[in-house]
Parts: sequence; structure tokens; C-alpha cells
Amino acid sequence: MPPTVQPPPRDPVESRRITLALVGSTVLFLGLAGAFVMDLWGRPDLPARVPLVDVKFLDQTASRRSYADLVRAKEDLSDFDCYVCHEKDKPPPVKLDATGKVIIPEEHENIVMAHGSHNRNNLCYNCHNEANLETLHVRAGPELRWDQSTQLCGSCHGPTLRDWEGGVHGRTNGHWDRRNGQSFHRLDCVNCHNPHQPSIPGREPAPGPNLLRPGKPAAH
Amino acid sequence: MPLPEQPPAPPAKRDMDRRSFLRSTAAFAGLSALAASLSPLRELSDFTSVEEFMQKYYKEMTPEDMQRVLGRIERQVEREYGVRPHVRDLKPMDGVEFVYCLNLTRCIGCRKCVHACVAENNQSRNPEIQYIRVLKMPHGTFDMEKGDHHYQDAKVPDPGYFYMPVQCQQCENPPCVKVCPVHATWQESDGITVIDYDWCIGCRYCEAACPYFARRFNFTKPEVPKDRLNPDMAYLGNRPRRQGVMEKCHFCIQRTRAGRYPACLEVCPVGARKFGNILDPDSEVSYILRTKRVFIQLKEELGTSPRFFYYFDK
Repeated sequence: MPPTVQPPPRDPVESRRITLALVGSTVLFLGLAGAFVMDLWGRPDLPARVPLVDVKFLDQTASRRSYADLVRAKEDLSDFDCYVCHEKDKPPPVKLDATGKVIIPEEHENIVMAHGSHNRNNLCYNCHNEANLETLHVRAGPELRWDQSTQLCGSCHGPTLRDWEGGVHGRTNGHWDRRNGQSFHRLDCVNCHNPHQPSIPGREPAPGPNLLRPGKPAAH
Repeated sequence: MPLPEQPPAPPAKRDMDRRSFLRSTAAFAGLSALAASLSPLRELSDFTSVEEFMQKYYKEMTPEDMQRVLGRIERQVEREYGVRPHVRDLKPMDGVEFVYCLNLTRCIGCRKCVHACVAENNQSRNPEIQYIRVLKMPHGTFDMEKGDHHYQDAKVPDPGYFYMPVQCQQCENPPCVKVCPVHATWQESDGITVIDYDWCIGCRYCEAACPYFARRFNFTKPEVPKDRLNPDMAYLGNRPRRQGVMEKCHFCIQRTRAGRYPACLEVCPVGARKFGNILDPDSEVSYILRTKRVFIQLKEELGTSPRFFYYFDK
């Protein structure tokens, strides 16, 4: 029989230490496991919720309604009945102030004349027909109905009218593919521009991107 | 330290000695800790169905396969959102190549296109995913580093600045397509680079490859309010995405392949956005490229050849 190798005798202090370490780590792991399951520390703070965008920014309608829109929608056209107040065959005189700017009568106080810089297009009868206030005219040209105002604008703004006819100035909605007669709608000049004050005022921008980061967004 | 004399250990009489007790307790604790650390998986609800898992690659699907898949998507969306969507698989039209033109003279930076796009394409609202970024740039430079996304002006446009919206440029030579390891993104014959959300593995290589930062990743499950879900959907377009897939602008495939204009164009209050078929000489985009000062294809020097052109009026 070969001699058996005896294991070295244990040190009771060390043995107790090992036991303690094992028991301690077991308790620690169990504790951690419990803490994870119960979410003791909670979750990290979520970034603030991004508010839904206001539906006004999703609106596709044109900013102004033209005479043609009112006719299409069969709405009240009484604003265009000039001869309720004015007399026929008696065009109202155009009065100018000392600087040569047209004086707007108080009956038409909603009109602000700001067409072209340096008062270049300052006179009512440049566009309105003095012989028939219910129509428009190209100066020394044909009489135009209210819904033909785009042609009137184009009599001065030729390149812009050309672009508009090519579908490039202003917005077109509906179908790009018109091979099978699909519908499209092109906005008229007066759907965006006020003819008395054609430059378009600034507008409120929709909210910018939310980066979900703390701190302030980059300054500009 | 001298070893003290010790009696030999008594033979094990008990059923479980100290060592095996500790070993099994430690094993139990370790397993419970592992289970606890996996506990976030409990929140996974978006399991892939067998049907979805067995789905074929888009280009290999027969029309019958596609009908089944579209039916599956419609059921899933209805279950989740309570709205029965109309999901289509629209194919590119013959003789059509899409081009987008954007008029930098007209753009006022109102960001309406950004939000119309989000609404049309069912993008996540929380966290926010947007395909269009609007850069506010000072006059006289095209240095993109001077651009600012986060302008908060009360009124736009701000004098002295111009605004440049950037979205997927639908490159003719798209770097994002080249890097995709699973061919989940490719260019179609009408020029739209599409993504099959059911084939994407979410490696985000394409996001890194895109020089325009046009691709977005769904880090979480996208959150779309039920009352704002757009039920007009396309397979390669705006159907709801999963967590962990890429998405990007696809020129509103569900609209444009049905002949309509994209949503960003229809909401633009100044008509700065123009879209159409470049192969049609009478289209709006042909007119622009022929007659306008087409100023840039963004980062033209990279050779990506975008189908998105920026131009000026004056």
C-alpha cells in the first residue's frame, strides 16, 4: 500500500476567514439580486417629454383667400360690391399728401399702401379700373375680372409670371403626375401676397429639434 | 507562523458539508444575480412573430408573399394603434426619375416642412426623429459649420441669414447603400433609396457612411400618438418601424409613387420646394434645372451626385 499524502492541517483562523468571505459574498450577491429586481435605485432620469407640435404648423391652407376662392366656396362676395357705396360713372378722386403718398380714405382704412419701394406703385387706378370699380385693368390695357388678378400682376412682374406659369414661383398642391389628368391646384398671387402690401411679413417658426441633452441649445 | 497541531478532519457524516452548502448557495446567488441583471428584458414586448422571422427578402418576394406580408402589417398596426391602415407596396413607375429642387432665395426657415414630414411619415415623437434639418446660415458663406439648427427667433426670416433645409439627397451614387452588409437598403429605378425595415439589422453603418446626416436610428420603440397616425402607408415608406432599425426620407414614397407631391412640398408656405420627374422635359424640376441658377448639389465634391438641387431665384 502506497503511503497516503496527508493534506496539510488547516489553520482555524484562515478557515474562519474563508467562511466569512464566502458567506459575505453570498449575502452581497443575493442582496444585489434583490435590489436589481426591486429597482431599488430607480431608473436614470428620462429626458423631459417632447411636446407634440401645434397642429397650426401642419396647416396647408394658403395664408390669404382670393376672390376666386370665395367664388369656388360660394361665399359672401359683398365686399366686392363697390357700387353699394360708390356712384357709377363717378370715379372717386385720388388724393395725395405732401410727400406724394396716396391718402387712404377712412372707409378703406384696412388698406396699407406699400407696393414697391419709393412709392413706385402708389396710385389706386394703376390697377383698379376707374371706369368700373368692380373690375381691374392693366394700364392702357384690357379690363380684367377680380379672379384674373394674376394676369394683372404679371403685366409688371413678367419673369415672375413666367415662373408661375412654369409652376416654379409659388406653391402647387395635388399631383406632380398629370399624365392621366390628375388634379393639381396652383396658388394665385393674391393667395400669398396682399396686392396693396405685397411683401410678406415674417412668421413664427415651428419648434426646432429637441436633442434630449441637458443644458441650453447652442446660441447663434 | 508555525503550523499548530491539528486533528485530521472528521469524515463527512452530514448530508451536506459546509463546502458544498457554500458552493450551492453561491451558485444560487450568482444565478439570481444574472437573472436580475437580465430583468430589463422583461420589458421587451415587441417579439418578432414566426411569420415575420421567416419573411423573405423584399426582392425575392412573389406578389402573393407580399400580399401576405402587407396583411400581416395591417393586422399588427390595427392591433397596436386601433386604426386599420391601408398598406401598399408601390413599385417605381417607368420613365420616372425623381428630382427635388429647393429655392434658397425663398426658404424662410419656418420649419413647417419638418413637422409635416413627421406627421406624414409616422416618425417617432418621443424621442424625436426628424428627416429634415433646417440650417440657419449667415449670408455669404456655404460653410456648414456656421449653420445653426437651434435658432429660436420669434419671427423668421432673420435678415442677414438664409435657411437651408437638408434631408436625404437621394444620391445617384449612394455611400449608404454600399456599406449595408445585408442589402437592406438599395436604390430603386426612380432614384429613391429605400430601406426594408424588416431586413435591417440596425448596424448603423449607413448612418456613418451618409455625408448628409440623413439617416436616423430608432434607439427605442418609436412612439406615435394614435390620433396622429397616418393610415396611408407603404411597405418601403411610412409604415411603423421597429426598435433598432434605420429610417430616412424616402421622398414620401406612399404619395409620390401614387403621383402626388411630397408632404414637405405641400406645406411649404413660400413654394420653395419643387418636386417632379426629371425625365419629363415639361416638369417643374426640368424647368428649374434649365433656367435657374442651380447653385449646388450639397458636398458635390464627394461624388455622391445628389438628386436634390439647391437653387437661387435672384
